[in-house]
Amino acid sequence: MSALFLLAILFVCLTIGMPVAISLGLASISTILLFADQSLLSLAQRFFHTMQIYPLLAVPFFILAATFMTTGGVAKRMIDFANALVGHFRGGLAMAALLGCAFFSAVSGSAPATVVAVGGVMIGGMINSGYTPRFASGIICNAGTLGILIPPSLVMVIYGAVTETSIGNLFIAGMLPGLILTLAMMATIAIIAKRQDLPRQPRATLRELLRAGWEALWGLILLLIILGGIYAGIFTPTEAAAVSAVYAFLIAVFVYRDIRLNDVPKVLTESAKTTAMLMFIIANAYLFAFVLTTEQIPQAASEWIISLGLPPWGFLIVVNILLLVFGNFMEPTSVVLILTPIIFPIATQMGIDPIHLGVMMVLNMQIGLVTPPVGLNLFVTASVAKTSMEEVIKAAVPWLIVLFTVLILVTYIPWISLIVPSLLGVL
Amino acid sequence: MSTGLLIRNTIDRLEEGFMAVSLAFMTLLTFTQVVLREFGGGWVWSLEATTYTFGWMVLVGMSYGVRTKSHIAVDLFAKKLPPPIRRIVALTAVGLCLVYCGFMFYGGSIFVDRLMMLGNNARDIPLPRWLLTSIIPVAFMLLTYRFLELAWAINKGIETGLSADHGAHRDNKGDAET
Repeated sequence: MSALFLLAILFVCLTIGMPVAISLGLASISTILLFADQSLLSLAQRFFHTMQIYPLLAVPFFILAATFMTTGGVAKRMIDFANALVGHFRGGLAMAALLGCAFFSAVSGSAPATVVAVGGVMIGGMINSGYTPRFASGIICNAGTLGILIPPSLVMVIYGAVTETSIGNLFIAGMLPGLILTLAMMATIAIIAKRQDLPRQPRATLRELLRAGWEALWGLILLLIILGGIYAGIFTPTEAAAVSAVYAFLIAVFVYRDIRLNDVPKVLTESAKTTAMLMFIIANAYLFAFVLTTEQIPQAASEWIISLGLPPWGFLIVVNILLLVFGNFMEPTSVVLILTPIIFPIATQMGIDPIHLGVMMVLNMQIGLVTPPVGLNLFVTASVAKTSMEEVIKAAVPWLIVLFTVLILVTYIPWISLIVPSLLGVL
Repeated sequence: MSTGLLIRNTIDRLEEGFMAVSLAFMTLLTFTQVVLREFGGGWVWSLEATTYTFGWMVLVGMSYGVRTKSHIAVDLFAKKLPPPIRRIVALTAVGLCLVYCGFMFYGGSIFVDRLMMLGNNARDIPLPRWLLTSIIPVAFMLLTYRFLELAWAINKGIETGLSADHGAHRDNKGDAET
């Protein structure tokens, strides 16, 4: 009864266009007041307590680092390096755009940020070199989703915080799937390039390649700092995020000199705003999760699912469908926040590894980012490419085949997600 | 410039400035802590100061988000409605947001009140806990004010809903969520 009430209120609030955060909060508060013996005091206390959950402190720092990286010319230098590496292949510019997205994903934890940073330069560049606008925006829109798969990843930080799974391990686990997805898309481009006879770039000399690599190095080192620092035990993921933010500031302002000191307050305000929006959702989602737990909804759902006699792989299909449907209407962090408290306990009971589940959820969210009606990457690509949503949707859809293939691989071969962490001896 | 406008502009500026300074402060504090630890030092109060700053930044940011229309909403269905119905739906949505603000304001007030009665200090910072959490009712009051402002604008037909039109406000703002 209380479960139905909770979900009905949430659904109504979302449908009439209330902010996701307040929809979650209001549904939770009204359910608690009607069905449970909890005071408003304890809810307000819980709300505020969210900002004292240590792993979530990584959120503002990673956002700040990414904003410095996006505003400064880090992306441009990574693209130059990518171009020097693969530009001379047939369809090389498209491959460089893809590789540029993969590189940028290694410093940014956000998919739309990756689209903006790389797409801003590459969509126009590809069109000028004779690629169709549709092909150009299709690549960027999909390759941009690597932002939440290749570490660092905000979605992983949130999943890790909610499920108390090691964020460092999640980061490491995302690397191989990220590599596989990049290679799969690279191969797809190669096939299309051959068929459509797409242009090549002149081959970069070794000297040019080294130079471009050196220029891009300052940005790429960041991933090394984050992962190396976490694994060497020098700092926690939260501290790694703060170090990234300071590092990104130093690089953008003093090494590349793309941002003037005067612009720094603007970067700070912008990042703080993004953080506040996200944390507002997260804090209310914690209230939501609290109601779910007090009303024992995950237990009921889990008993029901297990009574169906579903094997783990059958359960994973259900999870995939659920995530894809939700992912179509909401942005990734909201989906993860709403569904994880329900899915996670069932999955653990079925013996599914939390790391494997996390990586799988991220891939589902990537698909959600490029599918209508609410695909954040579609909106961002449309605005960067200055074209219509319809055009971007048509451009993005064929690439879904690649994303789906990798999703199926990751879902049914846990090895892909678990091998790197276990090789490093952390699992 | 009228006094009302002057006060509004001052509040706007204060919000933005406060958020920027908070973020800079917590980043530098956490960074410094890492550096100091490498040399075997560090401040006990650092983590607590960071988390409280974080809380204040997020709470102040809530109302800033209403003003800049950056709260994430599923506006797909509401946007398809004919204008007169859409206006009623938008006003209902804002009304429900105000109900939420009321609950949280009340909960926050009694929380702070309870802490005042207890009168104890925070764990590591030599400040009373009620003072550090007093931002909760204040922030929800600010949020209420912003929603009232929005309701007024929707009623007058200046605004159509709670979120900006997609595309328009996403321009060059890829650092959004996710």
